[in-house]
Amino acid sequence: MAYTKPIPDPDPVHRPYWEGAREGKLMLPRCTTCNRVHWYPRLLCPFCHSREIEWIEASGEGRIHTFAVQHRAFGGWADEVPFVTAYIDLHEGDRMFTVLRGVDPTKPETIRIGAKVRVEFERANDEVSIPFWRVVEE
Amino acid sequence: MPGALSRAAAIIGAAEADEIGYPATPKTALQLHIEAIKNVSEQTGIPISRIDGVFSAGWSSQLAEHLGLRPKYIDTTSVGGCSFEMHVHHALAAIHAGIIDVALISHGENGWSARATGGRGTGRPRGAPDPWDPGQQFQAVYGVAGAPSNYAHAMTRHNYRFGSTPEDFAHIAVVTRQWAMLNPRAIMFSKETNPGGGPITVEDVQNSRVVAWPLTLLHCCLVTDYGGAVLVARPEIARSVKTKPVWIAGAGESMGHQNMLEMEDFTATSAAASAAAAYRMAGMGPEDMEMAMIYDSFTVTAGITAEMLGLAPRGEGFMLWKDGRAAPGGKFPINTNGGGLSFNHSGMYGMQLLVEAYRQLSRTAEDGVTGLPGKQVDARSCIVNGTGGSLSTTGTLILVAD
Repeated sequence: MAYTKPIPDPDPVHRPYWEGAREGKLMLPRCTTCNRVHWYPRLLCPFCHSREIEWIEASGEGRIHTFAVQHRAFGGWADEVPFVTAYIDLHEGDRMFTVLRGVDPTKPETIRIGAKVRVEFERANDEVSIPFWRVVEE
Repeated sequence: MPGALSRAAAIIGAAEADEIGYPATPKTALQLHIEAIKNVSEQTGIPISRIDGVFSAGWSSQLAEHLGLRPKYIDTTSVGGCSFEMHVHHALAAIHAGIIDVALISHGENGWSARATGGRGTGRPRGAPDPWDPGQQFQAVYGVAGAPSNYAHAMTRHNYRFGSTPEDFAHIAVVTRQWAMLNPRAIMFSKETNPGGGPITVEDVQNSRVVAWPLTLLHCCLVTDYGGAVLVARPEIARSVKTKPVWIAGAGESMGHQNMLEMEDFTATSAAASAAAAYRMAGMGPEDMEMAMIYDSFTVTAGITAEMLGLAPRGEGFMLWKDGRAAPGGKFPINTNGGGLSFNHSGMYGMQLLVEAYRQLSRTAEDGVTGLPGKQVDARSCIVNGTGGSLSTTGTLILVAD
């Protein structure tokens, strides 16, 4: 089935992330000066301002930091309401935004901040796959 | 001891466009600006030609051209709804530095009319956002659109961290509505002015349509038209006009992030930093404040901000409303115009905060048009806090009566 929702248009700074996603890998930028992982990708490390940034393959694990249930959306997403959006604390550090899978949007009281999540990828077209995070067993 | 800039300038007048809210005939943002500017000039007796600094959120060169002005200071800072509090901060510094004498801070926004005009007349570009913007690549692809879809995440985290509930925050909407019922210009003044107007209960708030759980419709601000303008002038001028001055005792600004991806603590904003700067400049503290005008794009915005301003303990900002202190007749009035929740919210609401703070501290809050008996409070100091973006940017002012 065709992917009907917005498809990212990778720019040069962010390209390694999207190239990784296409191969089913979660790639994150890490500063080799201070060793901290940051998200989203920068030209300078946001912590120590070094230019020395490498891309690492992440574990693909994280935990829910906070979430909301979207009952109003636009474009392709309008067909999917309600859906759950969440900020994910990455195992490697810093935070990512996603649409959460493996949860019931009609029962937000059953969704737990701190719950373990794992990344998965959905193919949007030949060039782009999009990461989503799914709640998994501890 | 107050800082050097404290009371170096005063707000000498504050006025609105002729028609605000939901105008029957669509208005452009420029019309809303110009009406408010003409009105504040007439209110103060300061001719438009005497304005030598122009401050607005993105409009300054267009406004100066429209008015035929050749300003000495042009500031068009546009960082969301707190821009206008920042403009006051910048105007204070420019006046103190001797660069200008009279600063115009203006806002016009046709949040309501733009629906009828198909987005024309807003003064903003109409194209799609830049797809290479990080926010587009890493947030918008996941279906968030508009402020409520973002702000809801803050409420969930506050509830988790402090054990607060959406019902606790609903009290903010209920109390703010009580103030709107004293302001005939408020959208939600009465059932006659709007079918959804008049008194509401916590149950009404919780039972209204879910927009972005845990935010229901009545946790969210309105979308309206608004034009507002204030004049800021040096003390000698402030003493010579027919209106009462309201002194700028303190000012500060800060930011936590632009994109919510970078929000470190979802229960805190940079208002803690901007308020600390404003209190320091004023030589005053939270205990010296007698009322507050707090940006309430959502109930959660107001609740968290009250904590950041030091008006309530962490996790308990909503208590100011829940226990009635913020309500009409209460010990600590907040959002006496009826707020963004029930009065008017054009998109960037910081000007509405300024106009109401001026009215309260100049004792002109009950003129029958913008306020009925019971709206004027006896406060002599007011903390004003604007919040822009996605709980991103903040500007704080400490204003005091003459």
